[in-house]
Amino acid sequence: MELLVQVAQFIFFKVCDLSAKQEFIDAAKSGKILARQCKKCNDVNLATVYFCRKCGNNQFENIFIDGTGHIETFTIITVPPTGFEKYVPYAWVIMKLNDSKLRISGFMSNVSKPNEIPIGTEVQIYGFDERGVLIKKSKLCY
Amino acid sequence: MQIFDVETVCVLGAGSTKYGKLDDSISDIAVKSSVSAIESANIKPQEIEAGYISNVFGIADKQVHLGPVIMSNLGISEKPSLSIESACGSGSVSLREAFANVAAGFYNAVLVTGVEKVTQTGTEWTTTYFSYCSDFFYEGQAGASFPGLFASMARAYLNEYDATEEDFASVAVKNHNNGLLNPKAHLRKKITIEDVMNSPVVASPLKLYDCCPFSDGASSVILCNEKFAKSHTKDYIKIIGSGRGGSPAALQGRDHMTTIPSTKLAAQSAYKMAGISPKDVDFAEVHDCFTIAEIVDSEDLGFFNKGEAINAIRNKETELRGSIPINPSGGLKSKGHPIGATGVGQAVETFDQLTGNAGERTIKNANIGLTHNFGATGASCAVHIFQSV
Ligand SMILES: [Zn+2]
Repeated sequence: MELLVQVAQFIFFKVCDLSAKQEFIDAAKSGKILARQCKKCNDVNLATVYFCRKCGNNQFENIFIDGTGHIETFTIITVPPTGFEKYVPYAWVIMKLNDSKLRISGFMSNVSKPNEIPIGTEVQIYGFDERGVLIKKSKLCY
Repeated sequence: MQIFDVETVCVLGAGSTKYGKLDDSISDIAVKSSVSAIESANIKPQEIEAGYISNVFGIADKQVHLGPVIMSNLGISEKPSLSIESACGSGSVSLREAFANVAAGFYNAVLVTGVEKVTQTGTEWTTTYFSYCSDFFYEGQAGASFPGLFASMARAYLNEYDATEEDFASVAVKNHNNGLLNPKAHLRKKITIEDVMNSPVVASPLKLYDCCPFSDGASSVILCNEKFAKSHTKDYIKIIGSGRGGSPAALQGRDHMTTIPSTKLAAQSAYKMAGISPKDVDFAEVHDCFTIAEIVDSEDLGFFNKGEAINAIRNKETELRGSIPINPSGGLKSKGHPIGATGVGQAVETFDQLTGNAGERTIKNANIGLTHNFGATGASCAVHIFQSV
């Protein structure tokens, strides 16, 4: 019986482990960032975190944050890692979310010059694929 | 923090292979460097009680588990050894573990060897494998190369402070000038600001000459307690401070893009142990994997206030004859960056400087030297402070 409980716990934690990243990916695909809000101190942590960095508590509530924000910094990559040759040049961006203190980094396609996406540019998350989190300029910019 | 000063830890000997594109195998390079440190310390290999080996991509040259191979070729196969991987910071992390064990009295004398052999693999392999040192789910997977991660810091720095891309370039020019005086440096070539500005963009705003090269090479030191050092009639230096720190593995987890938290933590801890402040440091070997990194490092280490490293560079304060010479060896930029060896190589340079054996690049009247080395974008960091005897 004890063994069964251990096996069940093992499977449960395995499933949890897998689902944190998968849920994050699913949320990004619908333009949202999945985060964990600490039930004790309300600090907001990334979805892949297991203990709160502020208070050490491990009880969280999943929250979905709107994936809009602005560019905090970025680079345009011309010498890419394997697999990204066909996307060159592209931008890798760190954005600050509007509705949270969290920052999210991700991939932005078809950017060739820094003045196309100056720091502060309003952007939004719109997907997730083999290039990780996908970011684009917010429609309001056009 | 607890200060492990049971034993005073000394560096009794130091040696390096040349850094660059080397033909020898990874184990041959590591053994050669180890032998040069043993000869420098003027000890018998049998006096070494343990080996601390730092390496990241041994798999690229078909040899992991390097410790026993090195110890066997030194004729001391019975001595324990281990390998330490902490990305580009492996060498200093290994030095720290060796330091802690000698300080705690476990060993009288140990060998610390860092080694890397990757140039046979080509730029694409190295760029890709190095990206595995990032927080891959959030960074490498999204196409962030290492130059790209530091380029993001560089862009933020340009936005926040009165700095230009030419200022970044001048760091490369300075380090190449120093490297010209270092016979073991990888890129021994004088360059100009224009050379840097005209080199191809790798990840804007960083250009090829803002980046350190991929290098092969090995560096070794012999650490021992002071009783052991005194029983050998030979120059030695003391490690008076050792500190470590960590940062969020991904840049997105950090509150500021122009500072590296682990550097600050490691430095505070090392300064406290040494009982000194940044102004007491006579020279420093810092982690300049990219020009922007040296600028950020020199501020995080407390040599300059935030945003003021640029003025110091313009005033030539960090040059070899300046008030606080930075990277007299040529740094990662010119001396080269065999990632598992770099942290140990900085200790070799410091030993050579403080024992007056750095040739033309010797800094006169230097008494205290600092080394700073980190892994990836500074997710892990170690700082050491050395003093001449
Ligand atoms: Zn909390």
